[in-house]
Amino acid sequence: MSYSNDELARLVEPTRVHKSVYTDPQIFELEMERIWHKSWVYVGHASQVKNPGDYITTTIANEPIVLVRDKNNNVHVLYNRCGHKGAVVATKPCGKGSVFRCPYHGWTYKLDGQLQATPHKIGYENTGFDPSDPQFSMRPVECFENYHGFIFACLSTGGPDFKTFMQDTLATIDNVIDRAPDGEVEVAGACLPYMHDCNWKMFVENLNDAVHPMVAHASVGKAAAKTLEQMPEGSPYPMEAEIIFPFGSAYELFDKMMVTVMPNGHSYMGGKASIHSQYSDIPGYMQALVDVHGKQKAKAVLSQNRHNTTVYPSFTIKDAVQVVRVVRPIAVDKTLIQSWHFRLKGAPDELLHRTITYSRLINSPASMVGPDDWDVYARMQQGLHSDSVEWVDMHRYMGADTDVQGHQGMKTAPGTSDLSVRNQYQAWLQYMCEEGRA
Amino acid sequence: MNTKQIEEFLYSEADYLDNCDLVNWMNLYTDDGTYWMPVRADQTDPLGEASILYENRTLMAIRSNNFGHRLSPSMELPVRSSHIISHVRVLESDQATGDCTVRSNFQAVVYYRDQTLYAGSYTHQLKRVGNSYKIKQKRVDLINCDASHRSLLIYI
Repeated sequence: MSYSNDELARLVEPTRVHKSVYTDPQIFELEMERIWHKSWVYVGHASQVKNPGDYITTTIANEPIVLVRDKNNNVHVLYNRCGHKGAVVATKPCGKGSVFRCPYHGWTYKLDGQLQATPHKIGYENTGFDPSDPQFSMRPVECFENYHGFIFACLSTGGPDFKTFMQDTLATIDNVIDRAPDGEVEVAGACLPYMHDCNWKMFVENLNDAVHPMVAHASVGKAAAKTLEQMPEGSPYPMEAEIIFPFGSAYELFDKMMVTVMPNGHSYMGGKASIHSQYSDIPGYMQALVDVHGKQKAKAVLSQNRHNTTVYPSFTIKDAVQVVRVVRPIAVDKTLIQSWHFRLKGAPDELLHRTITYSRLINSPASMVGPDDWDVYARMQQGLHSDSVEWVDMHRYMGADTDVQGHQGMKTAPGTSDLSVRNQYQAWLQYMCEEGRA
Repeated sequence: MNTKQIEEFLYSEADYLDNCDLVNWMNLYTDDGTYWMPVRADQTDPLGEASILYENRTLMAIRSNNFGHRLSPSMELPVRSSHIISHVRVLESDQATGDCTVRSNFQAVVYYRDQTLYAGSYTHQLKRVGNSYKIKQKRVDLINCDASHRSLLIYI
């Protein structure tokens, strides 16, 4: 059986959501079709395809996708599928070539996806085969946007344009760009992939969940404190402690940080202060920013501090740390998280080193933070199969939201509110029950 | 140079890991010693590129204090490992100091939730100290370094 819109609508109530949204493979298939094919999903960054012929492969909603730069320096997002028998054409995570060539029957494609040649053409003569038929190309994804190098694509047409979709999350990307003295960022190194045994929404909901760090991540803070005590007197304060300690901050601090939501399921925590705002200065960085922005703007740029700006459903970025995490749902209980790290062009190397250290300490599958999140997600995925209770709660600070002045549709609440989760489920319902879009 | 002694040293290091004895394990490292597990084959830069692990003595100490912590959800289940090290060969050695760089192959079976087989090569930069060695760097190149791993709770 499939779900009618009425049945889907009954899965979400103002303060609770039905467990089947996390466990039912049919819901997952519907989500792929109605959310992941209809929203703007992060593909990759233009700096990963710097030169003509460069490509990277990825997925959107399990669709094989290739991002490529052609000979005229235009970037394309293509379905990574041969127009002949449907084989995936490029399998390496990244590569370079002058054409795409399917290794099965040797069909070749130009870098914009157009069919270039099929071998032994005589067999197609007088058969009605039309090589210019788009069916035989590596089809391009029509809707994609390159925003300061961050490339998002939408697999369907007729939905909101990119800016309307992104709402105020663009201000976070703008801030990352402003933090680069040269006004540009680029991907540094390979991504850290981390396979999770949970539904994709558990990861996304956790991004602005401020009632878990002091519990789920309590041990690493205590272990770091104990380590500092054990260090000989006069030892320099380690950068690692500066990154780890804020995860143990009190509820009150997170409440003060506030959480802000906007239409389409997006949200962020903080704004002025976040768990990243007390990092020590990197020598030379402030001066480099003052040189390009002037003192006042440089200070304003660094004073914006949003923790985990979440672009529902696929993308989260930290402006102060320059780490992006990308959600790639694989199955109802399997989700790949990719962490990508960005160099602020013109900034001292030490800033990138902190970005990298942060991700290794927090996001790596071998870190002392990520595995605790991994574990609680896996426990939920397991426990939700229990028939004892049907619902998952989202009551915290219900009714305590206030409108953000001058920003239509934006609301804010104390940081430990479930507001961001409730907001995600409003978007979820809208996507899942919407009809008539191509 | 005594290859046999180097082998014994590598075995004893693996023994500490198989016994989850992270305190004695990290004491095998020099004060500026590092443990490095790159995420990319041929990776040369641990600072400007992400790695699965790149830990100094401070982080090793935090990890040993965190290991098995009652407040860590991921540490509730046991972690057990069994290492096999072979094909130990000395890549470089300094006759004067006794310092050397040693490559070996390893397979480590780790049981945590599920049983997982990790395999690859170790590159130990060893510093001769007294009659034994200290580790200046242990580099762990997993053959699937760039795969989408699940949680890894102990050094390999």
